[in-house]
Amino acid sequence: MKKEAVAMLLAGGQGSRLYALTSHVAKPAVPFGGKFRIIDFPLSNCVNSGINTVGVLTQYQPLELNSYIGSGQPWDLDRSDGGVSILPPYVKEGDAGTWYKGTANAIFQNIGFVDLYDPDYVVILSGDHIYKMDYTEMISLHKKTQAACTISVLEVTMEEAARFGIMNVDGQDRIYEFEEKPPVPKSNLASMGIYVFTWKKLRQYLIEDEADPTSTNDFGKNIIPAMLKNDETLMAYRFHGYWKDVGTINSLWDANMDMLAPHMTIDVYDPNWPIYARTPTKPPHFTGPNAVLSHSLVTGGCQVYGKVTNSVLFHSVCVEEGAEVDYSILMPGTVVKAGAKISYSIVAESAVIGQEAVVGSPPSDAEDWGIAVIAGGVAVGKQATVMPNAMVRDDVKEGEQV
Amino acid sequence: MNDLHGIIFAYRSDSHLSELTRHRNTCSLPFGGRYRLIDFMLSGFVNAGIRDVGVIVHESYQSLLDHLASGKDWDLSRKHGGLRILPPFSYAERRGSGGYRGSMEALSGVFSYLQNIRQDYVILAWGDMAVNFPVEEMFQQHLDSGADITMVCTSTDADTTCPENMVTLDSSGRIADLSIHPSMTTGHLKSAEVYLLSKQLLLDMVDYCSAHNLYGFVSGVLQPRIHSLKIMPYLHKGYTARFRSVSEYFQRSMQLLSLDVRTDLFNQARPIRTKDMSTPSTYYGSESKAVNSLISDGCFIDGEVENCILSRGVVVEAGARVADSILMQGTIVRRNVSMSYVVADKNVQINSSRMLMGHSSYPLAIAKNSIV
Repeated sequence: MKKEAVAMLLAGGQGSRLYALTSHVAKPAVPFGGKFRIIDFPLSNCVNSGINTVGVLTQYQPLELNSYIGSGQPWDLDRSDGGVSILPPYVKEGDAGTWYKGTANAIFQNIGFVDLYDPDYVVILSGDHIYKMDYTEMISLHKKTQAACTISVLEVTMEEAARFGIMNVDGQDRIYEFEEKPPVPKSNLASMGIYVFTWKKLRQYLIEDEADPTSTNDFGKNIIPAMLKNDETLMAYRFHGYWKDVGTINSLWDANMDMLAPHMTIDVYDPNWPIYARTPTKPPHFTGPNAVLSHSLVTGGCQVYGKVTNSVLFHSVCVEEGAEVDYSILMPGTVVKAGAKISYSIVAESAVIGQEAVVGSPPSDAEDWGIAVIAGGVAVGKQATVMPNAMVRDDVKEGEQV
Repeated sequence: MNDLHGIIFAYRSDSHLSELTRHRNTCSLPFGGRYRLIDFMLSGFVNAGIRDVGVIVHESYQSLLDHLASGKDWDLSRKHGGLRILPPFSYAERRGSGGYRGSMEALSGVFSYLQNIRQDYVILAWGDMAVNFPVEEMFQQHLDSGADITMVCTSTDADTTCPENMVTLDSSGRIADLSIHPSMTTGHLKSAEVYLLSKQLLLDMVDYCSAHNLYGFVSGVLQPRIHSLKIMPYLHKGYTARFRSVSEYFQRSMQLLSLDVRTDLFNQARPIRTKDMSTPSTYYGSESKAVNSLISDGCFIDGEVENCILSRGVVVEAGARVADSILMQGTIVRRNVSMSYVVADKNVQINSSRMLMGHSSYPLAIAKNSIV
């Protein structure tokens, strides 16, 4: 059936700057904010915006992501007309077919999927941003201005602007120039990597881009510049609100800490814009007789007997008596044994921190200070020490220091 | 386990639970923070691989319908079979209005559904009990023992509810006698009112009872035929909670603060499923304190909580002190409130600086949507 808008969610990136956290899962499947995974934000935004047809383009380590999305039921995307579809790269006639070579190529390879719904507009999203956004507002600006492409932008400071793709616009917010990480920015409008395209136009540009052997098949590097060159109407849609790219260890830690100010940064408790997630049914969390909890998020199935401050605990985390957790993120199923101390760390799923082990430390002047990261399933031995900024992928023996 | 069908009786509204069941069926009474009572039996069935479940309802089943919906949270939203809510469809013309007088009458009210059951065996249970036992083990025992009926029996130590149906065994372990509400507790086994039998035997019994104007399962079927039918007990030693009063509800709830009880009732191999609300995590403010408590997702705790069970979305503002209480979904406790031994139903609001005090033997129950 014809749809006005179809969303295509780019979820194939490796997220290599999350290092050990994405060695076995695609970045969009990384747990976030106590109850969620990163991909819950764009998926919930789609549903809340009335977009019920979503293609999720996967490539890197897709198994956990595929099983997480499943039928799309947690997001009400299990539909007989539309709904969510997982789109991996595939083999074509005569052994043709390749991996997704770039963001634009990923959509190019799925032109057939989009055509099934004959949409007027296609919304391109990525799976590594934390934000709440009503895409219908962006689409209505796109319609009103009869644009070929509308790009969502965020006003950043001029200093920050040098780190982003910057849109230079005229008085009507029509984009006349796009600069990737300009040393001397002319504007402070940073691209958020969210695009609305008129499908007929985009379809044509994708085919032309694919025919160009010199192209890197990327939206920012190739499609947008080509559209600008041909004098198409490209509009900037100014987004006001919380938006965070969680592509690095520091930004992921930061964004999780932002969740501790629930009504100042991003409010996931708003019943008018719920963020849906697939979560196992766990009993309520239990706080022990000597538990201390302050300025923290705690999720179902947790058992807290020790001290938890300024931290985010995902489901089924156990913090034993005498253990202390401060400014840290403990992903599902983490166990913190008695007397262990964790600070300024990210501990991934089902890792076990042994008795009286020490992981991470509060910020210091040391040049190499940083957030310590323990990969999923790792066991840190009794009385072991994990230094700040460490990236631990293998078990740490009793008493050892890494 | 494709040969077992589940039937849950969910038509009982217990008047002894006063404020708590005024607006609802006992089966949809919140329990253990995020659950409704019916979740326990329904999850037990699903965990045993049962694919088709009928839920017999009669009156005030609105909240139960909201909760169960299509059954998708229990994976029972199926093209073929799955969850079926059974209002009294072949019943009204026979006896006008009023509740079912007994479970046999309830079953005859849905007789055509029973006839169409595609499995050879049926398990009958009440939906107002918090219990987690391996249904597949009971089924296997039933098949191995060659019993006509297998019924779940609990020991009086674990199931402290006032005596209901007491069970006496003969030397071979077969059930020799069943007494309803005996004035003196004899023996140590009682019936949990969960029965497993063949579909054919069930249909015969329902038909017989209907024709002879008998409406109770125990009085109409089990007692008269206790010698002709081989009735065997399935012993469940774990936590089993049924409630006949607010104080009993309170006391059995508070037992969940013990790790042993939680490990048994929330056995990880047989998880209790419930309606998924995608509720975010609970937030603890900088001045909060929460000890020895069971706290569901989506709460905001800035005050102090001790020995409590909190459902989803409860708010405890700064300076408030809540002890030994059960707060159901959406309860708001404003600043500087002090309360203990309170059972607050859904969406109760307690305004600032109020003092509420019940007693462990007589907790204060506050009705849904009340403002104190």
